Amino acid sequence: MEQAVRNPLLPQPATIEKIIPETGDVNTFRVTLDNAEAMTRWRHEPGQLAMLSVFGVGEAMFSISSSPTQREYLEFSIKRMGKVTTALHGLEEGAKIGLRGPYGNYFPYEKMKGKDLLFIGGGIGLAPLRSLIDFVLADENRGDYGKVEIIYGARSYDDLCFKRQIFEEWPQKEGTAVYTTIDREEEQWDGHVGFVPAYVEEIAPAAGNKIALTCGPPIMIKFVLQAMEKLGFKDEQIYSTLELRMKCGIGKCGRCNIGSKFVCLDGPVFNLTEIKELPPEF
Amino acid sequence: MTVKLINKDRFNVFLERLASGNELVAPIEEDGNIFYRRVTSVNEITLEADAFCFAPKGHFFPQYEVLYKYQQGSNALVLEEPGPAGPSVLLGVKPCDARALLSLDPVFDGNYKDAYYLDKRVKTTIIGLSCRKVRYNCFCRAFGFGPTSGEGADLFLTEVKDGYLAEALTSKGEALLKDYSDLFTETGVDGALQEKEQLAVQLDTQFKRKVDLDGVKARLDNMFEHPYWERLARKCLTCGICTFVCPTCHCFDIIDENGGGSNCGSRLRCWDACMFTDFTLHTSGHNPRPGKKERVRNRFMHKLKYHLDRYRVTGCVGCGRCIEKCPVNMDIIQVIAEIKEVG
Repeated sequence: MEQAVRNPLLPQPATIEKIIPETGDVNTFRVTLDNAEAMTRWRHEPGQLAMLSVFGVGEAMFSISSSPTQREYLEFSIKRMGKVTTALHGLEEGAKIGLRGPYGNYFPYEKMKGKDLLFIGGGIGLAPLRSLIDFVLADENRGDYGKVEIIYGARSYDDLCFKRQIFEEWPQKEGTAVYTTIDREEEQWDGHVGFVPAYVEEIAPAAGNKIALTCGPPIMIKFVLQAMEKLGFKDEQIYSTLELRMKCGIGKCGRCNIGSKFVCLDGPVFNLTEIKELPPEF
Repeated sequence: MTVKLINKDRFNVFLERLASGNELVAPIEEDGNIFYRRVTSVNEITLEADAFCFAPKGHFFPQYEVLYKYQQGSNALVLEEPGPAGPSVLLGVKPCDARALLSLDPVFDGNYKDAYYLDKRVKTTIIGLSCRKVRYNCFCRAFGFGPTSGEGADLFLTEVKDGYLAEALTSKGEALLKDYSDLFTETGVDGALQEKEQLAVQLDTQFKRKVDLDGVKARLDNMFEHPYWERLARKCLTCGICTFVCPTCHCFDIIDENGGGSNCGSRLRCWDACMFTDFTLHTSGHNPRPGKKERVRNRFMHKLKYHLDRYRVTGCVGCGRCIEKCPVNMDIIQVIAEIKEVG
């Protein structure tokens, strides 16, 4: 008998084409699907996720950190943390991995058209935001959005991801401002020193006609949200991404629920009004 | 809907023929418990035993299932899926377990269809069976069905004095009656239907524990922060037996098993439980459900609220298994009553 249903749990063979070191423990992996036709057909939206496999070790979910406008390859910026990420960091260019997805919802870029955008990221939290930053800054989309401000911080200079983009590429784009900060003073660093939430208050971006998107460690997000409230941002103007442990990525394994929502299906992107309606269990 | 009758002698022939033409899965007693297992000889089948019976969910969602095999060369990766399921017949399914499949279906269906579950689901014919007795912790009636309800089955049997009444409830059930039409008769069906009604009335008097779900969901909607969960969770051992015996629990883990060498093996899924400490543990060490309170709350919320919110069908069917097997007498019937008191 024929299999009755196509299998969404089966990964596609993929190759790590390039490994770009970002920090001491973050690499960006540039990945292509081995099936050229599948690569051509691939579509994702900014903020969506994909499941990467190192066979013999396991599978883990990552946000796709490259823009959908980049059609040649996908990028994943991954911090070395646990089993699968350590195995990924142990691979070399040319290694075969598995990939399935894309999964989850995405940043509602249609609703953001005509508005100014404020990105606030901390550490590896810039990875999911980067897919949207590169999407709105792409020539074909830039005209749809107003001013783009990016506030980004990390523990140290070494921990800042995407250095080429934050220091060179993005600031050179028209109507774009990038503010970076590190937690503690360092020699050779003449930029801002301090935590991201405090820096947000210092920069004090105006709330009018603006959408804010924030991603980073939970503690940073908590204080960023307090800062935003002081600056007059309304909940509807703020989006964040949530992250929970996942196994299947398709709403079956029961692991990433927050109340009756599944982060893999209903997230990872949530408006702050939605986050406030969720039971506080994330 | 076709309704027929089959006498006891012919019923044995029916079983023989089902077992020879299909994969037949039926209740089989083993060490004082009943499991749904593939039948090798129809004499093993035990449709009317008193022993504790595990749910048949494992037929569709095995406790351990290979998703695919992988073989990784230096520049090639080969993934091999298991072959598709063959046709099977699942016999002797209790009303609660048939109804439980209707709670599981929307989980494994949806935008992303779980090929493993649905393939077996599509190819399995479910023969349900009315209960002959009500166990102490049974409370299916709270969920709007009872020990003679066939919902979820394709063909539904009720034992009567002359054999089994057989009601076809779906096209699969109709097909079965047609395929085996030489064994079934229409003679005596009216009397058997009356007997079934009497059985239903008689079983109705056997329920020992009163359960009323009215208002429970509404209370749970506002009970997330209630101190009750802390109190309730205190005695829980988080052993997970409640999820293991539950006919609607479906959480799973996905793991790799290396096949001797470093470059080939299997990726498989196995049952997992929201009661376990590391179920939701992040790599960073953060755990959204770090303690017993959070995990116990999640389980009861899931059974009586979350599943209902998401799929419009409850995540509990009142089978009473979790009550019977819990080593510390965690009792969902009592929890339901307490929610109504404290909520």
